Amino acid sequence: MILDSYRIATEPYYQPQGQEIATFLAAYHERLPIMLKGPTGCGKTRFIEHMAWRLGKPLITVAAHEDMTAADLAGRYLLEPSGTVWHDGPLTLAVRHGAICYLDEIVEARQDTTVVIHPLTDARRILPLDKHNEIVPAHSDFQLTISYNPGYQSAVKDLKESTKQRFIAIDFGYPPPATESAIVARESGADADLARLLVTIAERSRNLQGHGLDEGASTRMLIHTGRMVRAGLPLPVAVQSGIVLPITDNPDIRAALSDAIEACLP
Amino acid sequence: MSAAQLQLVSGVEGPTRTLHLWMRQRDRLRPLFTATWEILSQRFDAAEMDAWAGAVLDLANVNAGPSCLIAYWDASTSDGATEIAPLLGAARSGAEICRHAGAQAATDAFKALSAARRMLGSGAALSRWWRTMEKLATQAPESLAATAHHMAEILRPGTIAAFESFVAAGLRTAAGDRRKRLAFFSLQDELAQRMVARDPGAVTFSDVETELKAFLTALYGEVPLLRSISTDESAQTPQRRAAIAGPLIRLPEIYRGVQDDAARALFRAAAAHAQAHLALGRARFAIGQLKPLQVALVNLIEDARVETLAMRRLPGLRRLWAPYHVATPTGVATAPMLLARLARALFDPDYVDADGFVGKGRALFAAALPRLDEHAISREIGMLLGNDLGQMRVQFNAKTYVVEPLYRDDGLGLWDLGDDTTSSAETLELFIEALRPEQQESSDGPPREQDAANAAAEPGKARPAGPDERGVVIARYPEWDRVDAIERADWTTVREVAASLGDAGSIDQALEQASVLRGRVARLVRSVRLGRTVRLKRQQDGHDLDLDAMLDAGIALRSGETPDLRVFRSAKALHRDLSALLLIDTSESTRDRLASGATVLDVERLAVALLAEAMEELGDTFGLLAFSSDGRDDVRMTSIKRFSEAYDRDCRARLAGLSAGLSTRLGTALRHAGGVLGKASTSRKLLIVLTDGEPSDIDVPDPFDLIEDARRAAIGLHAQGIDAYGVVLGRAGVEAATRIFGRRNTMLVHRVEDLPARLSELYFRLARR
Ligand SMILES: Nc1ncnc2c1ncn2[C@@H]1O[C@H](COP(=O)(O)OP(=O)(O)OP(=O)(O)O)[C@@H](O)[C@H]1O
Ligand SMILES: [Mg+2]
Repeated sequence: MILDSYRIATEPYYQPQGQEIATFLAAYHERLPIMLKGPTGCGKTRFIEHMAWRLGKPLITVAAHEDMTAADLAGRYLLEPSGTVWHDGPLTLAVRHGAICYLDEIVEARQDTTVVIHPLTDARRILPLDKHNEIVPAHSDFQLTISYNPGYQSAVKDLKESTKQRFIAIDFGYPPPATESAIVARESGADADLARLLVTIAERSRNLQGHGLDEGASTRMLIHTGRMVRAGLPLPVAVQSGIVLPITDNPDIRAALSDAIEACLP
Repeated sequence: MSAAQLQLVSGVEGPTRTLHLWMRQRDRLRPLFTATWEILSQRFDAAEMDAWAGAVLDLANVNAGPSCLIAYWDASTSDGATEIAPLLGAARSGAEICRHAGAQAATDAFKALSAARRMLGSGAALSRWWRTMEKLATQAPESLAATAHHMAEILRPGTIAAFESFVAAGLRTAAGDRRKRLAFFSLQDELAQRMVARDPGAVTFSDVETELKAFLTALYGEVPLLRSISTDESAQTPQRRAAIAGPLIRLPEIYRGVQDDAARALFRAAAAHAQAHLALGRARFAIGQLKPLQVALVNLIEDARVETLAMRRLPGLRRLWAPYHVATPTGVATAPMLLARLARALFDPDYVDADGFVGKGRALFAAALPRLDEHAISREIGMLLGNDLGQMRVQFNAKTYVVEPLYRDDGLGLWDLGDDTTSSAETLELFIEALRPEQQESSDGPPREQDAANAAAEPGKARPAGPDERGVVIARYPEWDRVDAIERADWTTVREVAASLGDAGSIDQALEQASVLRGRVARLVRSVRLGRTVRLKRQQDGHDLDLDAMLDAGIALRSGETPDLRVFRSAKALHRDLSALLLIDTSESTRDRLASGATVLDVERLAVALLAEAMEELGDTFGLLAFSSDGRDDVRMTSIKRFSEAYDRDCRARLAGLSAGLSTRLGTALRHAGGVLGKASTSRKLLIVLTDGEPSDIDVPDPFDLIEDARRAAIGLHAQGIDAYGVVLGRAGVEAATRIFGRRNTMLVHRVEDLPARLSELYFRLARR
């Protein structure tokens, strides 16, 4: 099949935090579009991979960026020896052949790009391709999922109300400590004690969210730090380079965070 | 005036009534007086208010004049004024100063009070500050104003003793020469400068406050309320310990003889200990029939309990506290020695001490470990041990006892000082006398809500100006009357006040000092100039091929048609169709000093300079306008840069010349800014308002009125197609700003110091759309 390369063969490890799997299944059953909200590195991408695997559907991921045009999503004519050929963009591919399309970091795209998903995400479920003079009705397996980090400051970048209100939302927070330790241990290969310690350290930084930090340390950061330790780096050095330095440039906050982390270390 | 107040006025003889009657004839002063009275009535009871009214009358009786009264009211309603006694003292001293050095000197002294409070607290040290000011007023009346103006700098060494010796030195070296004195007290003199220069290794509370706050927040997940307590300089008295008062943690201004990193570590240790009590302990012990020794022991066990709890969660805290546990199992077994040894024994499992008492304490504590969550164990064990020690007949003197080790709090915050009338209440008093000397003068009970709720300064309300100082009338605007729900036409008058010129070089210098940030903004400018291009498709030439045009051309070629050869993409610098106006609040509160010694206005100035440089570089159309107000008839606008002007040295001199003063009538300022922007011909119009608090003005007692008016003005701007954004400095004004500009158009800058970075970021984000 045409989308075989987009199929996920082995189960991506995903540790559930709440009702997200049931919510996703229900929304998929009704083919409603889904919005995954949450801070960076908390498992949104992993979750969609897991769900695609679980549903046995191909997954097409598009990372949105500022310069992305509607053609980058929908498709364009390409020139081939035999003549011009219409080439489906990733979104059209998913719509036509029935895949889950995952638009990562949707707010990065310009709003005029974002609106191409509108006819797909309401009762019409169609994708009009003006250039190609075609209206593609969505395949019955097609589903659209977007990710969205509400972030701390959203004075400028935000979704249009008419976009937002089309989606079922699933909120991703940081998992409870025990769950998060298990994730960190498994993903980084750190032992249970180290994983627990890393989560305690992350809590210190998350306490500062809104009080000097825009966001606390993500699960991803902890996994990276755990891997640095496994690669032989002493823990305090790994924590500095994996957590403190990337997360802030403010000297007071850096000092405070380093000292608070020092208080976590055995 | 409310009914309750009218009753007071008509019902009771005495200062309250006299003052209210006296105010009746003073139209200009009355609104502000009413507002002040209202605020204070919420803090103080009727008797206290009576005393305060008496204080105001005393000032009036020495002909202090309206400016001075207003300064005193401001000092009374400000955040630091939670107790009545220091306020009454202030009025007494103010009257004394007025008698010797005149009303202006007294006014200046009141204005310097906030700096003094910040450095010295409001206890004994502050009374000594007033006494020193009085002395100055009698012996060097001409120098009082200069001293008051430089108060923040003069108090930089951080202790009252340093201030006293500074004044003494000034009087001595000038030897009666007024010119010399004036030079000394306005810090022109070399000795004066040397005296206010700080010991380079000294670390004071204000140096570490921001960092400590973030440190505690990170540790325990709660934002602490930190304050300083003044410390006595003289080496005879023991070093003050940290103290807990309700939700507040009060740390010594300075730990004597401890410097640099060691001092920072000690502040952290003390703060982490105190916050452990608040976050994990939450004990409130009843004093009951306890003896002083038992109280000390209950404190000691409670300290060990909360520290053990804290270290279970955060084991690294042990390294923070361990260096201060230095007791050794040798020497004379006096009570303080034994207590210090027990404290160490409970903290340090490796510590060996054969003393029976210490051993028993250890055993009792170990046995209670399974119940560590209950603060009752502290009381139980403390009482038992207190009995034992009592029977050993070791001497214990509550008056001279200080808690060991150094980083621990004095323990009083753990006791319920409530209506405990049993005989042992004096036990606590003994401690209080020893530990918190200033409480003999002013009670230091749990702080009032205002203090706990909010550390930031109130928006400035300042002295009314004489008609001669007013500028040229340039516009009148309506204002919304919230109470009557109508718009009052031509209610406010805007006057153009010419900018005073400052030193443009100082702006350049400040920018140079902020070189890292400046570099970052310059990079942003470059990236915008690169990225601020329209990608032009189907061009004659360009830097790369336009894929879609190529395809079309290819198709045309193959089908035998003439291809369109415009197959390039090029990027053209985009002329931004945008004008931006920056509206700068210069009201009195921007005079407040930050930990760094800079004022809020200094930071605003740097932020504006940084952004202006970037906007000029980008070729954006922009204007800079400063505003303040002094009642509805005098809303002042000072143009720093007009749209048509280039941002040159003159503009920078005007920016440098801005000074803080008066109030914030935001709605009128917004309307005026709307008028200015309305004339711009660009399609996008952006207004950024820089303010450090909620709107206020001397003739409007209820700030809600002005908030509502400003909200309406902002809606009006929106209707005119102007995007208005509020940038708020510090938590205090955020609620008002959110109401006015809407949540998405309000940016809160928690730390004023971050403003320069945040303002430029905001502009770049807004201007990108
Ligand atoms: N619940 C979870 N189960 C398994 N792994 C997880 C979970 N949460 C986070 N992870 C781990 O954290 C890493 C980061 O998660 P992921 O890439 O899904 O983040 P994200 O939410 O998509 O972040 P971003 O918004 O930055 O793209 C994953 O690679 C995975 O190792
Ligand atoms: Mg992701």
